[in-house]
Amino acid sequence: MGILTNKYMISFKNISKVYPPDVHGLKDISLEIEAGEFVCIVGSSGAGKTTLAKMLIAEERPTRGKIEIGGWDITKIKRREVPYLRRQIGVVFQDFKLLKRKTVWENVAFALEVAGETRKRIKDTVPHVLRVVGLEQKAHRFPTQLSGGEQQRVVIARALVHRPKILLADEPTGNLDTMNTADVIDVLKKINSFGSTVVLVTHNREVVNSLKSRVITIAGGRVISDKAHGKYILN
Amino acid sequence: MLILTSTGRIVVFAWKNFIRNAWIGLATVFVLLLALLSVNVLIGVNAMASSAIKILEQKIDVSVYFVPETTQAILDQARSYMSSLPQTSSVELLTADQALEQFKERHKNDPTINQALDELEENPLGASMVIKASKVDYYPFLMEALKNPQFSFAIESKTYDDHAVAIERVKEISQTVRYFGAILTLVFVIFSILIVYNAIRVAIYTQREEIGIMRLVGASNAFVRLPLILDGIFFALLALFLATGAIFLTLTFFDPYIRSFFDGNDPGLLSYFFDNSGRIILYEALVMIVLVSLSSWAAVGRYLKK
Repeated sequence: MGILTNKYMISFKNISKVYPPDVHGLKDISLEIEAGEFVCIVGSSGAGKTTLAKMLIAEERPTRGKIEIGGWDITKIKRREVPYLRRQIGVVFQDFKLLKRKTVWENVAFALEVAGETRKRIKDTVPHVLRVVGLEQKAHRFPTQLSGGEQQRVVIARALVHRPKILLADEPTGNLDTMNTADVIDVLKKINSFGSTVVLVTHNREVVNSLKSRVITIAGGRVISDKAHGKYILN
Repeated sequence: MLILTSTGRIVVFAWKNFIRNAWIGLATVFVLLLALLSVNVLIGVNAMASSAIKILEQKIDVSVYFVPETTQAILDQARSYMSSLPQTSSVELLTADQALEQFKERHKNDPTINQALDELEENPLGASMVIKASKVDYYPFLMEALKNPQFSFAIESKTYDDHAVAIERVKEISQTVRYFGAILTLVFVIFSILIVYNAIRVAIYTQREEIGIMRLVGASNAFVRLPLILDGIFFALLALFLATGAIFLTLTFFDPYIRSFFDGNDPGLLSYFFDNSGRIILYEALVMIVLVSLSSWAAVGRYLKK
């Protein structure tokens, strides 16, 4: 039970998701993402990209098909195994999900506390990940005292504490202005340069076009395009 | 080390939840308190009924009056026969002379009786025997045993002051109280389970953001579940503490009134609670913890399945 550094870090084989009674979220999706890749998943609202992202962290289960993460078949993952999966995939969402009554330091440390990590490991890890996202000077501020971009970087820092092999960012720049967006994308590129696989789910044309990385385009629950150095092709 | 760290954090998280939800918890604690009080009233009624029955039972005896000319040999025979029965607890024989002495002592201030006694040449009183049974149910048997032909002819009269009606009445009342008390307790226990269930649901709602993040960053289900269950246990322990305090204060205050109700006899209610406090608190704590844990477990379980 765990993620190995396989050639394919993420593998979707003929994945379909049907919501009762008959709403098709995803239709027969097959794709592979290699370890260390930076992949953008793009699509308009309702295309199925968030469903796909949620399947990576077992928040959604496929109706048909097979999902493997680093060689670990998580298609029918047991509920008690989900926390171990989530500790190995860092997750960043559009709505930050930070605890307002906790400081930056405490928010980041929280992810380690609930995993039962020792105080020493928390003391070592938190400053390190805050340095990676450039927030070491703001460790004792509360989320409300930070800009949107900085809050998102706190979330990224929290996602990094377990040294995940995959970082999944679902619309991380959705609530940010251009400046903050650029900051967050820079942090994601930096993390990717350390060797982590980054999956960026977005519908931000500028971001996708500036990255010049692999772009998987989804429409109507299907992959309609998958280009190694892609561009945003939707209207 | 890891277990210790996690346990410590679970307790800290639970304590924070408990403080944060103090107002919601107050309603829960109140219902748990009512449940505990009703259980303790039931325990008290039981204890009081048993001691009332014991007091009444101690008052029961059979008095046998012998004709005045009964010989000592027959009296001894009657005493030894009745004493030999396993159903007998005690036999007290009062000879005619002793009976006269006691009579005189009792009426020493009554000149008419003294004068009447002086005019009599012989002792007009016969010997008597007071028999107590080891169990109330044995009195009918002892009454039958007194029909023994070896001494029954010497018996002038028998009085069986049985208090049986009073005992039956106490038993009936305590049975009724026990019955209704049990129903009341059951109702409060069901309420408690439902209210604890809802209190935990509300606690989950107020902490949904934190719980959501815990799950997102890979907290195990136990780590999400245990602080909330512990939260419920804190409610139960607080209710138990309050109930115990309320019971001891009430009993200490009302003890003199209860004693006077029992004609100055100590019904032993206060001492019963003092002597058995450890056992009562332990059992109540265990039952409460089990009920509250199950209720909280179910409440969190429903959330975790989502």
